[in-house]
Amino acid sequence: MAEPRAGGAGAPVLLSARGLLKRYGANPPVVAGVDFDVAERAFTTLLGPSGCGKTTILRMIGGFETPTGGTLTLDGVLLGDHPPERRPVNTVFQSYALFPHMSVFDNVAFSLTLRSGTGDVAAKVRRALDAVHMAEFGDRYPSQLSGGQQQRVAVARAMVAEPRLLLLDEPLSALDRAMRAHLQRELKDLQRRLGIAFVYVTHDQDEAFALSDTVLVMNAGRIVQAGAPEAVYRRPASSFVAGFIGGATLLPGHVTAVSEAGTTISTALGTFEAPGHPGLAQGMPASLVLRPDSIVVREGGTVQAAVRHVTFMGQGYAVDAEAQGQSLRFAAAEPPRIGTTVPLSVIGDRAYVTAPA
Amino acid sequence: MTAGRSLLALPMVLLLLGGAILPLAILVVISFWSVDFDAFELVPGFGLASWREVLGNPTYPYLIGKAVLTGSVTAGLTALAGYPIALSLLRVPQRWKSVALVVLMTPLYTGEIVRIYAWRLVLGTDGLVNGVLLGLHLVQVPVKVILFSPVSTILALVYDELPFMTLALWIALERLDLRLVEAARDLGARPLTAFVRVTLPMTSTGLCAGALAVFALSAGDLQTPNFLGGPTGATALASIDNFFGTAFDWPTASALALSLLFALGIVAAVASLLILRIGGGAVRTRP
Repeated sequence: MAEPRAGGAGAPVLLSARGLLKRYGANPPVVAGVDFDVAERAFTTLLGPSGCGKTTILRMIGGFETPTGGTLTLDGVLLGDHPPERRPVNTVFQSYALFPHMSVFDNVAFSLTLRSGTGDVAAKVRRALDAVHMAEFGDRYPSQLSGGQQQRVAVARAMVAEPRLLLLDEPLSALDRAMRAHLQRELKDLQRRLGIAFVYVTHDQDEAFALSDTVLVMNAGRIVQAGAPEAVYRRPASSFVAGFIGGATLLPGHVTAVSEAGTTISTALGTFEAPGHPGLAQGMPASLVLRPDSIVVREGGTVQAAVRHVTFMGQGYAVDAEAQGQSLRFAAAEPPRIGTTVPLSVIGDRAYVTAPA
Repeated sequence: MTAGRSLLALPMVLLLLGGAILPLAILVVISFWSVDFDAFELVPGFGLASWREVLGNPTYPYLIGKAVLTGSVTAGLTALAGYPIALSLLRVPQRWKSVALVVLMTPLYTGEIVRIYAWRLVLGTDGLVNGVLLGLHLVQVPVKVILFSPVSTILALVYDELPFMTLALWIALERLDLRLVEAARDLGARPLTAFVRVTLPMTSTGLCAGALAVFALSAGDLQTPNFLGGPTGATALASIDNFFGTAFDWPTASALALSLLFALGIVAAVASLLILRIGGGAVRTRP
């Protein structure tokens, strides 16, 4: 990593959830009793497919949903059933929820006008709009702004209230790709500059990796892995995480040996040795996670694969091949010819043996 | 294309012309005529006697003012009662909403006279309210001021017109993005502040529509004040009815009717401008 991350081990905890549960009626719980910590000044992301409960967690932190069970503690104080206006937490809503009947200036000033003793409101609003490069737009109405501009105003409106924790619910999902990448950098810069803890919700793993100090991967109401982006990418805790993060080939099999050197897994395409997830033992079902850079074309390779598709990626080629009905995706500097059979080898160090979903 | 579509409005335009503009024009003409009470005939001409009577006699401006007041108070009270009802209707599950709508409209299914006599049974000297008050020994003799007072008139009018207000507010609230209210709370607004600063302006068109309907219906109601207002039940409409009927003074009736219409129209126009102003940008910037 080029720079140290905020919120590593030992960083003071700002928010902690213990056994956090949300259930509607007799249905299976939306959030099934999760534990996690959010460190001071850290960028924490809840990542998962839609319906996994990540937005519900955000809404419970914000005070818009009451937990069915468990606790949320902020700065050592139980949040309990405090209403949203009594929490030192602000939200950037999906689709922004800017007040359409107020100018940009009045939107940003909203929280300041509700409290007395907030000092020079106009100066604070100008500073907040400056921070998101929207200083000239104070007189406009939200409907006169582009999506990216609305997003910036929403961030300014939430920041000006000086929250201990800022919640962001898929704030970039409505924007086009180029704008999204641009605003990701802006958000990250702003977060670092202000030193405020962010809890960010997204289903986009690229976005999660680009922004986060810590990623909490969720599935079906549970947190299935928590860690730095590199750890989640390189050492996925289950084949669900590996699959959701994307780009991986998963070979199902079972563990035949576990040693200091690595974990040996037997699959339909042969037996491989790679670093293994803690807790795996001989005889357990498991999956071999292969990233595009874990597979190479090599004379004497043990896997004979038929080349199906070749995609030019700029820096090289992405090759989709098939061996015994199993599709494999790997990166190659030179494009193999479609229809030919190539010998493939697995680089054990770059592969990983993980638990089944 | 546009011209073709405007043609669809033609029947309604004709109906308005024939059903409202034309009779009004006739009223204007008649208001300048006079009556020969010996021959019991209307005499065409151009005289200002009836206008002098309506504007000069303090009774009629008073009655017109009373109509404006009744309409305004009823509109205000239905708004106060209607918002909580409409807000709670938002939480009704989708499949129960049609049932809620039917229940909401209940006052409209019973005839006005039936409702009026029902109110008499509830509010009268031997009525339900007095029965409860006497039974609980809260009063020693029946309270008489409830029935045949402005209180009973306004109470009945609020009950009668409430569906129009609630329906208009409900439709407006269904179109409101509730995340805006959440955003207001998130930024530190208590529930009432969030209502005043977000919900109210964002639903001002519905409030305006509801207020106009309730204002017109209650300011123009003849039966309710007549049967429940007792000695306080005199209305401009009753006078108009009297002039057209018993008194056979069509010119004065016409002048009074036009004055009432003008006053109600001005108040309604000013009030709706004020209500829509609460909405500010919301009205013109709706996506």
